Amino acid sequence: MIEPVKLADFFLTFLSAASVILFGAVYALLFAYAKVSKMPRLMPLAYSAYAVLFASVITLAKVTNLFGSAFWISLVVVMLVGYLLAPHAIWHLCVGTHAASHHDDPVADKSDQTPAPLNFGSVNTFHQPCKEEAT
Amino acid sequence: MTALRALDSANLNGGQKLAVKYFTVALALLGVQITFGLLAAVQFVMPDFLFGVVDFSIKRMVHINAMIVWMVFGFIGSVYWMLEEEAGAPTVGLKLGNIIFYVFTAAVLVVVAVYLLVQTGPGEIETQWFITEGREYTEAPRWADIGIVVCLLTFFYNVAATFSKGKVTGIGGVLLLDLVALAGIYTLGMFYTTNLTMDQYWWWWVIHMWVEATWEVMVGCMMAYGLMKVLGTSRKIVTTWLYLEVFMMFGSGILGIGHHYFWIGTPQYWLSIGGFFSALEPLPLVAMVVHAVYDAGVHKSRNNNHPAMGWLIAHAFGNFFGAGVFGFIHTLPQINLYTHGTQWSASHGHFAFYGAYATIIIAFFYIALQKWRGDVWMSGNLFGGWKWKWSMVLLNVGMLGMIMGMLVAGFAQSQIERAIGGATWTAFFAAQEHPWFVQGMHWRLAFGTMFAAGYALLVWDLLTIGKRETRPVQSHDDAALEAK
Repeated sequence: MIEPVKLADFFLTFLSAASVILFGAVYALLFAYAKVSKMPRLMPLAYSAYAVLFASVITLAKVTNLFGSAFWISLVVVMLVGYLLAPHAIWHLCVGTHAASHHDDPVADKSDQTPAPLNFGSVNTFHQPCKEEAT
Repeated sequence: MTALRALDSANLNGGQKLAVKYFTVALALLGVQITFGLLAAVQFVMPDFLFGVVDFSIKRMVHINAMIVWMVFGFIGSVYWMLEEEAGAPTVGLKLGNIIFYVFTAAVLVVVAVYLLVQTGPGEIETQWFITEGREYTEAPRWADIGIVVCLLTFFYNVAATFSKGKVTGIGGVLLLDLVALAGIYTLGMFYTTNLTMDQYWWWWVIHMWVEATWEVMVGCMMAYGLMKVLGTSRKIVTTWLYLEVFMMFGSGILGIGHHYFWIGTPQYWLSIGGFFSALEPLPLVAMVVHAVYDAGVHKSRNNNHPAMGWLIAHAFGNFFGAGVFGFIHTLPQINLYTHGTQWSASHGHFAFYGAYATIIIAFFYIALQKWRGDVWMSGNLFGGWKWKWSMVLLNVGMLGMIMGMLVAGFAQSQIERAIGGATWTAFFAAQEHPWFVQGMHWRLAFGTMFAAGYALLVWDLLTIGKRETRPVQSHDDAALEAK
């Protein structure tokens, strides 16, 4: 069912496992910051972080002997797809909930609820329009 | 000389008056937890310290039980704090709630006194009922177990009846369901079977489901309320996120219980179930980073209570690293075979409990104090503001230092005791004597002392913050202007 980690791979196991979560967070952070600040130039960095996450997952899978069965391979696939898509899904949800919140609250200061753009990187098509902007 | 602002209960509603009582006991019990943690840490360095007076097992038991109880008191206090504002109605059965508070507090004192003065008993049913049940983390004697469930059900009655009388908000609805589970799941740890595996199976329901399900949901409700109060975030947004968080947490968290079933004699399929779902548990935490960045862009962290905001941020980071990173690095059975029950677990446990729970309860202490002092200023240039900042530094650095000390010790244990020595008795002592383990324990004691100093400063700050302030609380609009 499981093949334990080799003694020589202990450190690599801990390092690669920590890297999965940390680079997952860096990817999510850069992805969201690039969007919220309208800085598309950061997006390649975000996907670079995902690439490191990808390598970390593969390394972890190798040292923990996950490639030996279809079940554990499915875990690797779910992790890779999940970490890739979750920030996209959450971003859409953020935009949607904040936009809906504007429409429901007529006295709200609408500028308050819009992501604050920074001064550079003004590619209009880059920022996902919320419902309010779209209308 | 300007008049000092006293803590005036006239500023509070009925539920909040009861809440501050719970907060006071919670803070005192945190002190008990730290004291017995330090005593246990000393014994790691000097093994004969207090030997025969208060043995290690007793110190550890009081340390962990005090933690569970102070956090439960903190959670109950937090719910009473937000209850009337959320429901829009006065607390129903407040008198009963007050009686239960005093009964609960007295019961805790009696249990701790028995732990320290009687300590152990013969393996008979009377010991289970009146001294200790003996199972770690749920050592409270049976009478106290029943008392805890009665207290939680009374607490549930207060909350449910108040929401019934007023309105049930999104936060209220989630809270009500959570409280049913909080009381119900505890009963699963109140029976024995002669089969040790089966016994452990249900015991883990209490430990895992309380901590990684009901407590996490409770914290989600507290965070939602805290963000509305401190940042002025809209109710609709926090409620949507609360639903999503509950959904994601239950999606991976419930079956994540399998990582406790790896080595207790349960069938092999738990290795697969536990490994799979535990590996996915950090995913929601990572996804939430997007939400945090989005909200920071929208609100720019404009807040009217800097200490509370600081602790809410500490909660977000602590939950991510303590529960997420430190949990994931040893959650797969392929590596957990070597790490479970070593200082790795202690390292993860300290980080996760502190990061996920202690921090947010401390944030609520500051939210409560702001109102208790009469909606006092707690923004920039706060009079005596160095105290909350330094207590935060000492507590956080102290905790991180302890975690790292235990991590190094755990690494030595997993290699020497488990992988090389094959988990024999001899290998256990070989690991305990290894310099990495010994030095790790010294560092734990040193940073534990720093943590205790941070606690002392925290208490001083909580007693005095806002006392000399003459300015009223900063409005969210003013905070927004200041941020621009």
